[in-house]
Amino acid sequence: MEKLLLVDMDKCTGCKQCSLACSLTKEDLFDPARGRIKILKREDIALGVQLLCEQCEAHPCIKACPDGALSRDTKTGIITVDMEICTQCGSCVESCPYHGIRSHPETGVPLICNLCKGDPYCVKHCVPGALLWVKRTDELFTQKKKLRSARMAAYKDIKKEVA
Amino acid sequence: MYGHQGKILHVDIGKRKSWVEELPEEWRKLYVGSRGINARILWDYCKDPEITWDDPRNIIIFAPGAVTGTTAPASGRTSVTTVGCTTGLYLKSNTGGHWGAELKYAGYDHLVVHGVAEEPVYIHIQDDLVEVLDAKKLWGKDIIKTDKLLKKWHGDDSRGLYIGPAGENLVRAASIQCSVYHAAGRGGGAAVMGKKKLKAISVKGTHPIQVKDPAKFAKIAEEMRENLRADSGAQGLHQFGTSASVAGVNELHAFPGKNWQTGYTENVYPLTGQALVSEGYLKRRVACFGCTIACHRYSTIDKGPNAGIASGGPEYETFGALGNGPGIINTEGVLLANEMCNRLGLDTITAGGVAQWAIESYLRGVLTKKDTNGLDLGWGKLPELLKVIEALALRKGKLGDLLGDGLKIATKKIGHDSYKWAVMNAKGLEQSNVETRSAKAYSLAFAVNPRGNDHLMTETFAEFGTSPEAVAVIEKITGSKKWASPHFTEYRAEIVRWHEDCYEITEALGFCVFTSTAAFGVNPENMARLYAAATGIELTEEEMMRTGRRVCTLEKAFNVTRGATRAHDNLPWRLMNEGAASGPLKGAMNSQKELDGMLDRYYELHEWDKETSWPKRSTLEKLGLKDVADYLGKLKKLPKE
Repeated sequence: MEKLLLVDMDKCTGCKQCSLACSLTKEDLFDPARGRIKILKREDIALGVQLLCEQCEAHPCIKACPDGALSRDTKTGIITVDMEICTQCGSCVESCPYHGIRSHPETGVPLICNLCKGDPYCVKHCVPGALLWVKRTDELFTQKKKLRSARMAAYKDIKKEVA
Repeated sequence: MYGHQGKILHVDIGKRKSWVEELPEEWRKLYVGSRGINARILWDYCKDPEITWDDPRNIIIFAPGAVTGTTAPASGRTSVTTVGCTTGLYLKSNTGGHWGAELKYAGYDHLVVHGVAEEPVYIHIQDDLVEVLDAKKLWGKDIIKTDKLLKKWHGDDSRGLYIGPAGENLVRAASIQCSVYHAAGRGGGAAVMGKKKLKAISVKGTHPIQVKDPAKFAKIAEEMRENLRADSGAQGLHQFGTSASVAGVNELHAFPGKNWQTGYTENVYPLTGQALVSEGYLKRRVACFGCTIACHRYSTIDKGPNAGIASGGPEYETFGALGNGPGIINTEGVLLANEMCNRLGLDTITAGGVAQWAIESYLRGVLTKKDTNGLDLGWGKLPELLKVIEALALRKGKLGDLLGDGLKIATKKIGHDSYKWAVMNAKGLEQSNVETRSAKAYSLAFAVNPRGNDHLMTETFAEFGTSPEAVAVIEKITGSKKWASPHFTEYRAEIVRWHEDCYEITEALGFCVFTSTAAFGVNPENMARLYAAATGIELTEEEMMRTGRRVCTLEKAFNVTRGATRAHDNLPWRLMNEGAASGPLKGAMNSQKELDGMLDRYYELHEWDKETSWPKRSTLEKLGLKDVADYLGKLKKLPKE
């Protein structure tokens, strides 16, 4: 059964359980900076914006990599990094239109969500339901894109204000 | 190190130097973390009773919990400990927000601030970089502007803790704000910072936190998370915030109004969390770090003359202290007062407490317009209330100075029996908005609270028996379900004793006390297991609870050095001498006789001396506090055995 991850900013309380859960399942420790999902937090307006790989159709990260270290599963859209090839240059991080990739604080390799290969660990931790792992329908796919647009608009506003 | 980061950061802001001390292994076993270890540090540095709140030797300690920064649900809280300025006694205040987790990621379990700066300073921490920097540009600025500047200088992802103008002005009602809208509000810790000329602490950190057994830890954290997900109390807190309970409390005629002269308000709906939602004020449900409940609110006014007003809250306590208390039965009115307190850095509970006392004093003719900055005070007068709040924060005019010192000092200045309607006990902290006349464990807990009478050193909500989980807690303590009713005086000492320990370990680990004493997803048994998985330190449930008891006794001992006796463990005059105004509990009162009965049993359970309330040498030694006993002996403050 094909599933998709709905990421709703309006339900996000900014707690960072998702980032912590991610760092735990991937690296056996707790560090929000090592989460493949990240919360961009604006404390004064109490906003949390979730940022992560969207398995998007355009996937400019693949092309941006000068060494061809990134590959994409055509069925699931999941991006995989070949650690042997990756030079930690950061080109993929820069190229992502959804600000969904960042570099590992220690090793510099890109951190890209792989949906835990079909059972995202973060979802169980999101009690308010801002992250939902649901059966894919056309309607929900459209909904996912709408939620993403709202997050990207908020991201832009935040960055504009800070700059 | 596992669980803890293993480091205590000391900063002397007078000498502008810092040093790091290893976290003693023994303390992790005896005091666990946060509030517990803070109590030990405060004892070690400030036990000498000559060290008053404003003495340069007073220290202020900030500490996230032993499991803060992990997926343990709602474990992101921070204890702040110092010699309190409102009571002159032991003060622990506790805040949510995201600052504490950041301190831990910077590599520190505790931050101890020593000394006094000559000019305003702030502390900047970025992992190993620790600086005491000039705060001239921040001094005088409100909380919102201070946060903005700190983020401009140190990054949008830095986290701040700060005082506003109220703290700078040494106002007792001042609050330490954290992550903008969260607060270590009670007891005047912000005035201690103000006295030290410490405006803010900005933190950013990159050190991960590791636990001893990640798989086991994740499993126990999941169990707690799922308990809370299923808990009706936690669900209500998420949906409608702390003020979800206002209507229910009002139905019990236990929602204090007009300075505790009423308990029931006809149309209370505007003061509820439900109204924040239905009237469109609620913009977002907000979580502290790692919290799966998210009871905090972010509310805005979008229309009308007050459009643009936005802030965190209001909480239950604020709807009480600045709404029902002064008679402002109006959502927008409370939003305005709340926003002003958050911005100027005031604790809404104390701000409301002193404002209500001022209103009643004026209506009784004890204060006149000469004392009130010309204000014609009265119940339900919003513009006047806002002027009182402003005067309080800025110590404006005669009124600002009078209220700025808190009711303990103000009632002495004014005389005329004005202590009779100052709702505080002998320790001198303005009471939180809980009706103790009809809840007997609460009344005992409020009386013995080392920092003054409020619900934030222990909470005995379970005595109401409002859910099967609450009843189960009471049954566990007393052996019978039948004691799950707040009007009994029997077994209240047992209930308070158990909750003191549970509350303490909850805070030592960094959990929000809602998880264990308002909702029931976290408990001593699963906390002991979690602590072992986090640190490798195996404590049984009983041993874990014993660390709580050790800390409560140490906190008590600290107050004994400052002259605390049994007489300090009392209740406000009004609640001891005037009956509840209406409802099924009409006429209900706290009385000295009733309290004495509960106190005797409480001291007995603690193995403290009944006459003086002081801990005995044998008790202290049994708890591993021989050095404390020796010091109290030197002060001649050990009871006869």
